[in-house]
Amino acid sequence: MRMRIGKKHLLYALVITSSFISAGVTALDSYISGKYISNAWVFGFSIFFVGFFATLFLSLILSIPYKKKSLGARFIDPSFKRLRLVKKKELKYNLVAGFMNAANTIGYCVLISLIYDPSVLLSFSQIVILYLLLIESFTEKNVPTLAEVQSAIIVTFGAILASISLQGAIDIQSLAIVFLLINPTWAFFSIYQRKLKMIRINGKLNDSINIRFWNVVFSFLFISLIILVWDILFGSHYIIEGFYASIDFFPWIFLTMSTTFFAYVLFIRSLGLSSASVNNAIRSSTIIFALPFSALLAYYGLAPFSADPVMLLIKVIGMILIVMGIISYALTIVKAYIFITIKSGYSRKNVLQKLWDIPGISHVSATAGKYDFIVKVSTRTLVKGYEKIVKKIDDIEEIKTYKWNSVLKDWENI
Amino acid sequence: MISAYILINMQPGNVDKAISEMRKIENLAKISVVAGEYDIVVRAQVKNLEDLLGITDKIQTIDGVMKTTTQIIEKEIAL
Repeated sequence: MRMRIGKKHLLYALVITSSFISAGVTALDSYISGKYISNAWVFGFSIFFVGFFATLFLSLILSIPYKKKSLGARFIDPSFKRLRLVKKKELKYNLVAGFMNAANTIGYCVLISLIYDPSVLLSFSQIVILYLLLIESFTEKNVPTLAEVQSAIIVTFGAILASISLQGAIDIQSLAIVFLLINPTWAFFSIYQRKLKMIRINGKLNDSINIRFWNVVFSFLFISLIILVWDILFGSHYIIEGFYASIDFFPWIFLTMSTTFFAYVLFIRSLGLSSASVNNAIRSSTIIFALPFSALLAYYGLAPFSADPVMLLIKVIGMILIVMGIISYALTIVKAYIFITIKSGYSRKNVLQKLWDIPGISHVSATAGKYDFIVKVSTRTLVKGYEKIVKKIDDIEEIKTYKWNSVLKDWENI
Repeated sequence: MISAYILINMQPGNVDKAISEMRKIENLAKISVVAGEYDIVVRAQVKNLEDLLGITDKIQTIDGVMKTTTQIIEKEIAL
């Protein structure tokens, strides 16, 4: 018997597990950067060079068949069969996601070389939700509502409070890297990973393991190219130093990239379940996991930590704000089916396109039977559903009748 | 691959049990409890019409199911 679980529960389980692993990875990266590879460029190159082998190794292990299914399909992503070559239709998305990940990693490595405290690093990056809301309002036909904007502001203020280091300092250089490099590249990276996840390969949803593997390959190509250009322009030798660092500290980098593999694979799988902004909203929980890792690093003398109750209180308030913002954001989606019939003598093709052009409509199915179309709607509020969708449907002259059925609960076989 | 929506009308008080039964049926991609003209909307993905018939038969034999309306998807655009 196949088990079906609520989509929302699966989404939360995947993202929160991924967040927990990410918090651990950030602590591990801070440790490696602080103790072994302090140069951000060298570390960035090593991450993807060794990461390629780590990802290949894990992907091959997960391709091993076990009781008619691969290990990967059994334990991580049911869509996964085996490691495969990249498909032509995936290529453009892989190129964008690879470039964004490479640029993001360089920013991330610079940041961890400046700040060793994971609770500061991870809090900074939660502001990405603002970028995602803006981008999705264009790419996913989803204009932000007041509730979304409020939630995003709460998350942002929370992130700013939580990102104050326990010594009370805010580093302007770090903020610039986060706002101008890390968050925008992460936003585009998330969106393009989601696009890859939504592609159908042989009739099935794309799998997160192949997506991750090919992302590492493309990211490695781009980061090598970026560092090579830098080396040529400025006379540095980061590529060669990166090779040596990869060999010298192979076990550490292999460990961090193997752990990262699982964090990403779970995150990519969750991207198939909901939009990038919802995923990143839930992913903000990672900052809660970061505090214990910060304390752990401080215990080993690798990151500063202050037990000043005022600073701790500010940080905790920031974290509470982030969590509250996320809850109010992620739990307020209204979904509905609209069953539509059209007047005789009109082309269904034209109506299909007119329906698809309405913001908030996520699926349009032309069907044979009692109804001509079944439309699926995702909106933040019923008011928005009326204002943005129902009124637009009213304007389509070919439509004879429509019936709105709000979804109360759903289960998905993922 | 054929995709179809099956729209279901239920007798009052039977929805929970019926959902549990439906969750055991293979090839159902999605089950939604809805408010409006119907009570449950199911999305099936099958290889052929014979399999679709098998699914509708199974649904119709569940206690409390009064009526099913099957809509076969001819074309779809989705995000």
